Parts: sequence; structure tokens; C-alpha cells
Amino acid sequence: MTEFVLAAVLGVLFAVGTFLLLRRDVVRVVWGVAIVSQSANVYLVTMGGLEGAAPIVAHGGGGGGATDPLVQALVLTAIVIGFGTTAFALVLTYRVYEEHGTIDVVDIAAGGVNGAEDPDASQGGDRDD
Amino acid sequence: MTEQLVVAPMLVALVTAVGTLLARDRLRLSGWLSLAGGVAYLVAVAALFRAVVPVAVLDGADASTAVLAYQLSGWPAPYGITLVADALSAFMLAIAAVVSLPVLAFAVRYVDEYGQRLSFHPLYHFLMLGVSGAFLTGDLFNLFVWFEVLLMASYVLVVFYGGPQHTSAALKYVVLNLVGGAFMLVAVGGLYATMGTLNMADMARRLADPGRYGVDPVPVLGLTAVLFAVFALKVGLVPFQFWVPSAYRAAPAPVAAVLAGVVKKVGVYAIVRVYFTVFGGGRVGTELALPGFAGESFLSYFGPIMLVLAAASILLGGLGAVGQDDLDGLLAYSSIGQIGFVVLPLAVGATAVDPTVRRLAVAAALVYALNHAVAKALLFLVSGALLDAVGTVDLRELGGVARVDPTLAAGFFLGALALVGIPPLSGFFGKLLVFDVAVRGGSDIALGLGLGGAILTIVYASLAWNRGFWGEPTEAVRRGTPGPALVAIVALLAVAVLAIGVGFDPVFEAAGAAADAALARGEYVDAVDPAEVSG
Repeated sequence: MTEFVLAAVLGVLFAVGTFLLLRRDVVRVVWGVAIVSQSANVYLVTMGGLEGAAPIVAHGGGGGGATDPLVQALVLTAIVIGFGTTAFALVLTYRVYEEHGTIDVVDIAAGGVNGAEDPDASQGGDRDD
Repeated sequence: MTEQLVVAPMLVALVTAVGTLLARDRLRLSGWLSLAGGVAYLVAVAALFRAVVPVAVLDGADASTAVLAYQLSGWPAPYGITLVADALSAFMLAIAAVVSLPVLAFAVRYVDEYGQRLSFHPLYHFLMLGVSGAFLTGDLFNLFVWFEVLLMASYVLVVFYGGPQHTSAALKYVVLNLVGGAFMLVAVGGLYATMGTLNMADMARRLADPGRYGVDPVPVLGLTAVLFAVFALKVGLVPFQFWVPSAYRAAPAPVAAVLAGVVKKVGVYAIVRVYFTVFGGGRVGTELALPGFAGESFLSYFGPIMLVLAAASILLGGLGAVGQDDLDGLLAYSSIGQIGFVVLPLAVGATAVDPTVRRLAVAAALVYALNHAVAKALLFLVSGALLDAVGTVDLRELGGVARVDPTLAAGFFLGALALVGIPPLSGFFGKLLVFDVAVRGGSDIALGLGLGGAILTIVYASLAWNRGFWGEPTEAVRRGTPGPALVAIVALLAVAVLAIGVGFDPVFEAAGAAADAALARGEYVDAVDPAEVSG
């Protein structure tokens, strides 16, 4: 039962993440990235198997019946990396807004509010500004 | 004792990164510290290279290379994380060290004071740390971690100037790579669930004998295909190339040089290591009969895919470069095409049955990767020096650089000829080997593609030369001359391009040894985890 629920939840999460990734609003795109990477984390946890107790072993106790702790260690690493990259993506979004005056992906690609005066800006003519 | 050498490049990069971070308020000190770190990195890589590849191998003698395995914290494989240095890793590290030091020296003079004070040096060395880690790790999840380390540094370096086009380029680059990272995590997790291990040597062992370890190869093949998409994104193969032109245009010239010269080679390394060493022994049997694929081994499935991606990259990169009006854009599209040339022999080698052809194919890809790394870094530095002097790299405004600054123009000329493949430059041997592999592998498609791509390379290289460097100097070009230090570093790299071509024999022997190491699955597994050899 848990397997089906988790599989469905993962499907929904990936779908929502993909949907948000395809929005024009940069903030939603960053949300989409965050959701996709978090669903990858959930997926990673389920890869260790869903049966078994918490992998906590008492002093002198055996390790029988515990679920795989390795995937949990992997997920911890992935969460930390995801946290850092999401924070960076948000800061970058703010910077994009400062530079372009918009967070609409289509407007940014077209040169944005500031870039509109200088059509060559998107060509990378002068990078020293 | 020699095992400890394996961590040396990573330690040097890490210490330099932290040191320059601490000294960032003192501009001169951090600059010198950074350069010293670059030199130390080169020394560490050279020491590791010597320990792995004996000098006799470079002379063409029949000596064997070593595989050094370092178990981090003394945890034995497959439980701990293993760092492995074999001839393939050593070859890639050598590319990284040879390219990164001149680029760093260029950056010290090129990147403005504010930028250097801000964060340039620590980021550069963290980038090199990630690159070295990715080359050395023997654990698939650890490879993901090192990818993230180098990507995190490269995100900031791409957006370094923070202007409108830099932020929009970085946004594209960051979002694509974050999604790629999530997919890599999915692939790694799935592989762990199906194979029960993440240690690459252990994976190779289990895949070679799936019945004994209870591994079902069919889902493994599917998951490795997901992983391949991630690696293709890192190297910028079509259809995953969207981030390349804008990111290379936005990044400062030394960063573009190191992204094209070193970071892309991490993806090349990952493809060779994972598909030829680790999953190369996998077979799926006949129950999985997909249309258009022949053979049972994993590589026979990836060969056609690589061929299609390489073909699309060569054509799109070449045609895109012809249509570019600015030098950086031209170089960026050119590097998409050149990566196609690196993957083309791999595609032929993957489907080849003859082991000598496969070995030659991997060696050809490595030689081509080395040539592209040095030549493209040289060209990006020329573009940077021009931007510094003239204030633009738009080919419509450039012209006659050869008259005003012959050394810089000569640097561009050598780099462009190396891309085209004129003897005795390094590119000639790269192209020659690619064609040799195509002929021996009996792949007419690859041969035709290689010829078409070579013609496109000639077209865009001569276009860039004619428009930017030949003829009467324009007003903009007359106005400024680049700093002598920048020109000297360009000249140094140009000499390196020449030297690799003239003294090609040891380079070819090293590439051959690296190809042997990439295909010697048994030795790799034994070096990492010898405990189970008898069992």
C-alpha cells in the first residue's frame, strides 16, 4: 500500500515540478527546480526499501530488521546541496529582476526592460560594464 | 606511500581555495597565493602522473601503468568512498593542470581588481577542486557531489560580471544544471536499488556476473541512459547544448577558457569512465530487442545514441559558428561541434567488436579532448585580450588585428589551425585518429560526418580570421593594444599547442595507456577492492 501511495506522490511531485519549470515567471521556475530536486530526494529514500525499522542500533545490538541507512546518508548530502543551490537560484532571481526589471522569462530573453535600449547587450558585445 | 599522492591534487586545490579566501582583502598576496596554488597543482598532478604512468610507457616501451586506490578514512571499498587514479584519470588531470595554470595567470592580469578582491581566486580553485574530485572518485554518488562542487563555483563565475546578459545566461545555466542534477540523483538512486552498490568497481564486478549477485541488467541499462542524458548536458551535446553559447559569452574570458577546456572534459571523462569501464561489461541478453539496436552489450546500445548526438553536435555547432557575428559566440558554437568530434570516435568504438578499434577509439577521443582543451583555451584567451584592448569582440567592428598586434594574431592563427587540424599542430593528430577510427570501425557515416565537420571548421575558422584579423585595421583596433603580460601568456599557450603537435609521440603513448586503463575493467576492480578477487 505504502508503495503505491509513494509512487503516486512521486508522480504528482515530478509533474508539479515540471509544470512549474515551464512557467514564464522566474520565481515559479525556481520553485519548480526546488520541487523536482526534492522529489528526487524522496525517490532516493524509497530506493532503500520501505520495510524495516529506523536504522538505529543500540550498544551491542544487532542490525537485523533495519532499513538501509545508506540512502538516508545520501539524501542528507543531496538535501544540503539542494539547499545551497536553491538559495543561489533565488539570489540570482533577484539579481535578474534588478538587471532586467522583469522576471518574465520571455521578456528577459528579449532583452528585458533595461536591455531593450541596447539590442546588442544580449550579444555579449561588452562585458566590462 | 604512493597511494597518498591520489589526494594531492584535491588537497592542493582545497588549501589554495581556502587560503585565497582568507587573503582576499590583500590583492597582491591573494594573486600570488593563487598562482602558487596553480603551480603546486601542476606539480601534484605531475607527481601523480609519474606514479601512475611510468616514463617507459611514454617512450613506447611495453610497460604497464599502475592503478592507485586510496580508501578515504581507511574504510575499505565498497563501504567507504574510494579515490582511484589510473592512467585515464592521470591523463585528464594533466589536461586540467596544463590548461588551468596559464588561464589563471591570464586571469590575474585580466580580471579587474574588484573582481579579484571579491571572490575570483577562491571560486577558481573550488572549481579545480570539483574537477579533480570528479576525475579521481571511484564512487557514483561521490561523482554527483563533485559535479555539484564544480557547478556551484561555475555558476558564480558565469554570472561574475552581473550585467543583464550575464544574469540571463546564468539563469539558463543554473536551471538546466539543477534539473540535470536532480536527474542524476534519480539515476544514481535507481542504480543503487537495482545493483546494491555505488562503488564503481563493485558495480562493474556485479554487472559482469549478474546472476551471482542477483542484478537484473535491463533496468540498469535504462537507468544508465538517464545518466547519459545528464553527462550529455555537462558536455553540451545537442540536444542539451542550449546553455553553452550564452554561458560562454557571459563568462569572463579566462572562465570561458576553463569551462571549455577543463569543465567540459569532466563530462567526457565521465562518459568514458562510466560507459566503457564500469558498464562496458554489461550484457542484456536477447530478451530486450529494441528496433535499430544490434548486439547484447550495453555499449552496443549507447553507440548509436552517441553517433546521433555527435552528428547533431558537429553539424549544429559548425553551422552555428559560421553564422556568428561575435568571436565568443563563434568559439562557443565551435566547442559544441568539437565535442561532437570527441564523442564521434567513442560512438564508433562502442559499437566496434574488435578490441583494438575500441582502444584506438578511446585514445582518439582523449587526444581530441586534449587538443580541444588547449586550442580552445588559447582562442578564448585571445578573445579576452582583444576585449581588454579593443573593448569589443564583435567581428563586425574588428579587423586587421594582425597588423596592429602580430603576436596576438599569431596566437589566434595557431589556435584556429589546431582546430582545423593542420600538421604539425595537435589538432592534426586528433582529426587523423578520428578518421582512422571511422575507417577501421567501418563506419561510413562517421567518416562522412568527420569530413563535413572538418570543412565547417575550416569555413568558420577562416571566416573569423578574415573578418577579425586580416585586412586593414579598423578604428577600434587601432585605438588600443593589449597588455604585454596577456599577450605573453597567449604566446605561451600557442607554443604549447605547437609543442603537443611536434612532440606528439609521448602524448599518443599516454593516451593509449589511458585508453588501456579505461578498458581494463579487471585491473580497475582489483585495485579498488582486492578482497574478493579470490572469491
